[in-house]
Amino acid sequence: MKIFFHSLRWRLQAWHGLLLLLVVAGATVPAYRLARDTQMQRIDKELDLMERGLFRALIDVAKATPPPASEAPQGSQFLGLAEFIQRLSSRPFELPASALAPFQGQESGYAYFSILDRNDSLLVKSENAPGDLLFLPVPATDLAEDARSVGNRRERLRSSAHGLKIVVGQDITPELQELHAMAWLHVFIGLAVWLCGLLGGWWLSGRAIRPIQTISQTAARIAEGNLQERIDITAMDRELGDLSHVLNQTFERLHDAFERQRQFTADASHELRTPITILLSETQRLLKRDRTPEEYREALETCGATAQRMRRLVEALLMLARQENRDSKAHHQTCDLASILQETVAHLTPLAKARGLRIQAALSPSPCLGDAEAISILATNLISNALQHGGNVEVSCSAKEDGARFIVRDDGPGIPAEDLPHVFERFYRADQARSSISGHTGLGLSIAKAIVDNHGGRLQVTSQPGQGACFEVQLPTAG
Amino acid sequence: MRILVIEDDPHLLRSLAANLREENYAVDTAEDGEEGLFKAQAESYDAIVLDVMMPRLNGWEVLARLRPGCKAPVLMLTARDTVQDRVKGLDTGADDYLTKPFDIDELLARLRALIRRAAGQTHSVLEIGPLSLDTAARLVRLAGQEVPLTAREYALLEYLALHRGQVVSRTVLYEHLFDEEDSTLSNLLDVHVSNLRKKLGADIITTRRGHGYCIA
Repeated sequence: MKIFFHSLRWRLQAWHGLLLLLVVAGATVPAYRLARDTQMQRIDKELDLMERGLFRALIDVAKATPPPASEAPQGSQFLGLAEFIQRLSSRPFELPASALAPFQGQESGYAYFSILDRNDSLLVKSENAPGDLLFLPVPATDLAEDARSVGNRRERLRSSAHGLKIVVGQDITPELQELHAMAWLHVFIGLAVWLCGLLGGWWLSGRAIRPIQTISQTAARIAEGNLQERIDITAMDRELGDLSHVLNQTFERLHDAFERQRQFTADASHELRTPITILLSETQRLLKRDRTPEEYREALETCGATAQRMRRLVEALLMLARQENRDSKAHHQTCDLASILQETVAHLTPLAKARGLRIQAALSPSPCLGDAEAISILATNLISNALQHGGNVEVSCSAKEDGARFIVRDDGPGIPAEDLPHVFERFYRADQARSSISGHTGLGLSIAKAIVDNHGGRLQVTSQPGQGACFEVQLPTAG
Repeated sequence: MRILVIEDDPHLLRSLAANLREENYAVDTAEDGEEGLFKAQAESYDAIVLDVMMPRLNGWEVLARLRPGCKAPVLMLTARDTVQDRVKGLDTGADDYLTKPFDIDELLARLRALIRRAAGQTHSVLEIGPLSLDTAARLVRLAGQEVPLTAREYALLEYLALHRGQVVSRTVLYEHLFDEEDSTLSNLLDVHVSNLRKKLGADIITTRRGHGYCIA
């Protein structure tokens, strides 16, 4: 039972069924009542006609009856109602057969009548009149009328102030049977309409719910690990389309994060395999037999250098992962690009001198919004990348309208055009320099790109072969 | 046995060469694909160890250019370990495939198996009359008695035994027993042959004058 109450489709169906039942009942019940009332009015009219015929016969009888001696003058054609009643009650009389003809027998549809005077003594009645007739009491003035159904009979009742009580009735069994059949027909048709409505409602609610089922099935498949799949929003209505769009965006971000993690693991394992092979190869060779101290020293130096290389690699990979996964701009504050670059240049000058190269700086104050530590790493990576490719380096920065900009330009051999789109990819080495010799990991520019992306800035590289390369960074300013 | 190692990482190249030399192989080294391809085409090697990820000319390209003319077994070294990589390597014409990092003993065992199979042998112990050569342990027994041999003497005997029934010229022996760093003094070979005859009996190696040496 609980499952029905928690199912949107079942609840919709229950409400729909209830409302539909009310509508069907609201249509059929008044229709039935209208039909019944019409039928009764028709019967009442018939009874009125019969009563009138009966009355005419009674008047004829009363006229034929001689009045008591002391009464109104002879020969008067006009008969008062009071006198009419008096004449009738003065002695017993018989109605002619033609007047009694409609009030015969007990077959279904038979009519009957009964007439009493003021003192409830019977004036005249049909032979078939039932014994349990009720009359209206005689009113003080005028006339009392009523029409009522008693069991299978319909009766018209009248009592006049002059002391005449009349009941004319009819057996209405055929009409009641007809009404009964009609009532059943109404119930039957109503139920049929209701059932059709229920089926239609079930179909409609199923249709309305189907996109939700599609969404949940797709989401389940994605949760199982198929992160490439997306909810198809082309055929969806706007309301569900919005929801699916939001879900798809969430899946997209999830997929990206997952993909970055996977890429990181793959890169790390790939790049660590060679140094580990060196360590294994050297140590296993060394342990096969006794060696001279010189041999040990040489092998240990190789192992030490290899371990250093692994350390640099792991640090760079972690740095990259941290930059790529950092979402919040909580660490960002206004800082001066010029002073950060000044520090970095001072830090790297000894390295440049050792290689016989120069670093020139042209720095004007340029406020920017960012993480000073990250920007320092960015500058270090760009400048040491330039130094690594054997060029003198020029560093400049300035405040522009659309942000703080700094440029690292070198006069080295430059980057071939076919390599330019790839220089920010992990482990892409334009000059194919070997990581173990040059000491760089192939991640410096990837880290730089990640930092700039994190700041919502832009990093561009231009290069003419033989004329050096130029890296241009643009960072947002405060506000 | 002479082996060419093509590997772009200088530390790994040096270490692999040292390992192989200590196993008495003659070892030539190449630091990139171009140099490796040049050496592989210029010399005749018993096996080639080839790294896949190399600058300029990678392992696949070296192998593809090498294969039509060169029958030497090739052992590929790679940092990638997906099934597709292995299939690609074997389909391109590599004879075996080793994923970094590996144990040096596994590399050596696979090289021994490659060399043996290339010479048409399937078992690691070669039997020649009363003589038995255990190529895995590098031990020589004569009628069940272990005979101590120097590294060069063993290498010479193993090469002739693997090519049993063929006359092996002095040039071929020089090519396969000495690497580019050895001095090629021609009488050295005669000294090793005569030492072997002293230790194993005069009729073990026959000399075909003007052609070379042979183990029948």
